[in-house]
Amino acid sequence: MPDSGNSSWDRRSALRAALGLAAAGGLAACGGNNGRGGGGSGSGTSLVQYFHAYGEAGTEQAIKRYAKAYEDANVSTQWITGSNFESKLFASLLTDKAPDVFEFHPQIQLVKSGQVADLTELIDPVKDDFNPADIQSHTVDGKIYGVRMIDDPQFFFYRKSLFDKAGVGIPRTLDELVAAAAELTTDKVKGIYLGNTLHSIVNPLIWASGAETLDENNEIAYHTDGVVGGFRTLRTLFTSGDLLLDAPTDFWDPSALNQGLTAIQWCGMWAMPQMQQALGDDLGIFPFPKVTDAGRQTVYNGGWSMFVNAKGKNVEAAKEYVKWLWIDRKEYQEDWALSYGFHIPPRTSLAESADKLKSGLPAEGVRLFNEFGHFDNIGWTQAMITALEDVLANCVRKGGDPEAELGKADGKVNRELDKLFG
Amino acid sequence: MPTTTTRQVSAPARSRRGLRARSTLAFWLFTGPFLIGLLIFVYVPILWSAWLSFFEARFTVTPSDFVGFENYRTMLTDEDFMGSLVTFTVFAVIIVPTTWALSLALALAVNRLRFMRAFFRSVFFLPTAVSYVAASLIWKMSIFNGVRFGLANTVLGWFGADGTAWLASPDPPWYWLVIVTVRLWLQAGFYMILFLAALQNIPPELYEAAAIDGARPGWQTFRYITLPQLRATSTAVILLLLVAAYQAFDEFFNLLSKTTWGRPPLVELYYKALGENQDYGAGSAGALILTLLICLVTLLQGRIMGFGRAEGSK
Amino acid sequence: MTTGTSRRGRRGNVLGSAGLYAATSVAAFLFLVPFYLIVRNALSTDAEITGEDWQFFPGDIQWGNVTEPFDDPTVDFARSLWNSAVVGVAHTVGTLLVCSLAGYGLARIPYRHANKVFYAVLVTLMVPTAVTFVPSFVLVSSLGWVDSYRGLIIPGLFSGFTCFLFRQYFLGFPRELEEAARVDGLGYWGAYWRVVVPNSLNFFAAIATITFISGWNSFLWPLVIGQDPSAWTVQVALSSYMTNQTVNFHLIFMATAISILPLVCVFLFLQRWLVQGIAQTGIKG
Repeated sequence: MPDSGNSSWDRRSALRAALGLAAAGGLAACGGNNGRGGGGSGSGTSLVQYFHAYGEAGTEQAIKRYAKAYEDANVSTQWITGSNFESKLFASLLTDKAPDVFEFHPQIQLVKSGQVADLTELIDPVKDDFNPADIQSHTVDGKIYGVRMIDDPQFFFYRKSLFDKAGVGIPRTLDELVAAAAELTTDKVKGIYLGNTLHSIVNPLIWASGAETLDENNEIAYHTDGVVGGFRTLRTLFTSGDLLLDAPTDFWDPSALNQGLTAIQWCGMWAMPQMQQALGDDLGIFPFPKVTDAGRQTVYNGGWSMFVNAKGKNVEAAKEYVKWLWIDRKEYQEDWALSYGFHIPPRTSLAESADKLKSGLPAEGVRLFNEFGHFDNIGWTQAMITALEDVLANCVRKGGDPEAELGKADGKVNRELDKLFG
Repeated sequence: MPTTTTRQVSAPARSRRGLRARSTLAFWLFTGPFLIGLLIFVYVPILWSAWLSFFEARFTVTPSDFVGFENYRTMLTDEDFMGSLVTFTVFAVIIVPTTWALSLALALAVNRLRFMRAFFRSVFFLPTAVSYVAASLIWKMSIFNGVRFGLANTVLGWFGADGTAWLASPDPPWYWLVIVTVRLWLQAGFYMILFLAALQNIPPELYEAAAIDGARPGWQTFRYITLPQLRATSTAVILLLLVAAYQAFDEFFNLLSKTTWGRPPLVELYYKALGENQDYGAGSAGALILTLLICLVTLLQGRIMGFGRAEGSK
Repeated sequence: MTTGTSRRGRRGNVLGSAGLYAATSVAAFLFLVPFYLIVRNALSTDAEITGEDWQFFPGDIQWGNVTEPFDDPTVDFARSLWNSAVVGVAHTVGTLLVCSLAGYGLARIPYRHANKVFYAVLVTLMVPTAVTFVPSFVLVSSLGWVDSYRGLIIPGLFSGFTCFLFRQYFLGFPRELEEAARVDGLGYWGAYWRVVVPNSLNFFAAIATITFISGWNSFLWPLVIGQDPSAWTVQVALSSYMTNQTVNFHLIFMATAISILPLVCVFLFLQRWLVQGIAQTGIKG
């Protein structure tokens, strides 16, 4: 866009806005927007999809390649880097530049506010081929609101050689984990890394204590003695000096383990190929250990799902695209799950035929996923997630009393539950 | 535009009334473009925000569920929001005097240098060119990270001290050191320039007169001449620093990820309303409470230190 | 700078000034440390940066790192630099034009309600940008300005703060000069362009410097307006390196170094006027 145009433009269009008229569509695009075809080209509909930036090399190109192969609409991709994803997604959803299709996690407030479209009819025909938990976590009142693209189990990765050297075995309880971390710590290497905020282990801690976030009546189920004890134990770990803190990269990045900053790291299966490349066979995995005797070993089955913006301009076309890519084109789904990082395909038929997941450490990851995995609860919304993250920050990092902090969280969660379920 | 010029030149008005009408026209001609822009891009969003604050506005900015003052009640009784005001106060109490003192000291030093003055001035001023994004990155990844290749921990290691996790734990509150140093580094140079400019405006005769009266250079002339002469600049600098501290967002957001402490108001509002929570009603209410507060504080400071009133009373 | 300095005469002066230089040098050293870190990290390998022992300088200077940000297929770094340059220049020119005119009008053209208008401008200084952020975005987006230079530049032109600075400056501008121009038959408009502006270039340069920095360094607004990577500014590109799931240290720091370089050059060139310009401002209370 030539600069000279600006000064005369701004007043005219400013006036126009003052009168409450939207500027004519043709004015919109003058700052080069390569990504968007649309406009005059013959193929008709244009769709925009939002993805957060995956770290594994090749993922962006892959998503764009699939989109290009779709013939019934012009699909352009916004590839948005990590910590900016939510703010950008939510700001855009308020406007008419909103994405037609976006990836996110299942959260009930998106359904209640009418933001995401009902995809039941797309999924129903192949429902039996999906991991039942992946269907359940996207269902509200019998309707399915999103398609799971990938399941990402999170568990502990550890360096076998360092375990052997320190003479420690795989921890079965949280106390053993703390003790192992102490044994493994040297002046250059810390025992364990849980991410800089430690937030990613909130849910595993609750499950491993034998509790749940919410029960089936959507009432608070996390406030138990086991969870309180778990937070206390974590506090001792935090102050012990055996926990790696303030690492330059967060838990989702394999760097801390690969660079030898820690002996154990909480991370996701997506990083497994990079770790294997850096560490070879010097790598093992284990689930989050029991917090109490009544507890259970736990793996967090995270992941990403595709949603259709119900307030978008091309809802039907967007549904068609989602069906095409995430229901029909199995070769793309397999490529997406397995060619870059390791993710478990939610389609049972794909997961069972995937050679890469059949042996060695990946197979072990799948076993942990099936045996110990816990999925998100769709009623557990962002405000509640934040409330529990605050509990962790306040009692583990700050040293507050878990009982009192959980009590405070109860207030916030109940306020949210009231709004959602009346 | 040139047409206006000729019209004004060619039509000299005689009567007082004509003069006034002409100057009114000229006033709007000069200020018009700015005011129209201000109206659209500043006032419309402010009013929109004010309107939102009376609604239950989740995941929407065109809500229909009127709730009166409910959002204001929620925010005013919210511990975290009120706590953020305390955080801001602590931050302001630390950052305003230290920046003031450091930038004044740098200005005095640079002003007294005879050689290499331009060099030193450039060095102190250069950080102003760096963005908060870039500076936070350097501070977090290279200076104050908690691992063996962080500069701060490496230097501590030379003296035999253990590495510290600077940002992870609020006790001891090392995170303030990180936050304060990054802001000092970024902004001291700019305020140094303001002081330098003011120092150059002090008439040299004042110092000569003082020398004749037997005042010793150094502390005495500084106390009785320099400081009083810098009063106006100091006032302006303190006001600017206060406003900047109150608007602080970037370094807290980038350095302290998801803590429950060390959140100044804007960060608190971001997490509460603008981030994933999307509660625009409560967020707008909080923002307006803050705006009122800063207006009050500024007025109060203006009363006490006489800033902004001076030319009105002339 | 103790009270006894002058008694000791010349020797004291020499000592004092040696002390002054020493203290200033220490401060300068500390101010330069972060720049050193950027350059060191930018020219090292990742293994050297994250190694067990601190290395002051890279063993082999990795000049190849310099081009690496430009070769990255996912981020068009060169394009983002260009966008930042366009936005920075247009933002600066536009702000100077709009705000200086308004500042002059408020300071010098008699109008009954000028004070009220001035207060309406002052109030906007108190409103944090976060208050207006989302409504602004929705507004600008409904104008169809997302992903355009227009959307990046125009909403930022109307800075109450810059207008305020210009007003303060023009209040102190010598009236005699203007009056001479008026005698020559120039109206407000003619006097402004032929007399006021040419005699205020220092101040304009000072404001231009500050405005350009803030334009170049702004982040949150370009982040949401620049949805398509082709409309990213360099700060947005930089943050994308930071939050990528796999962190590449030397690349991040090289990109940072490159993003800072243009500003450093602008600065070294303009700072002389900056001091002079500010010495003439109305920041005097």
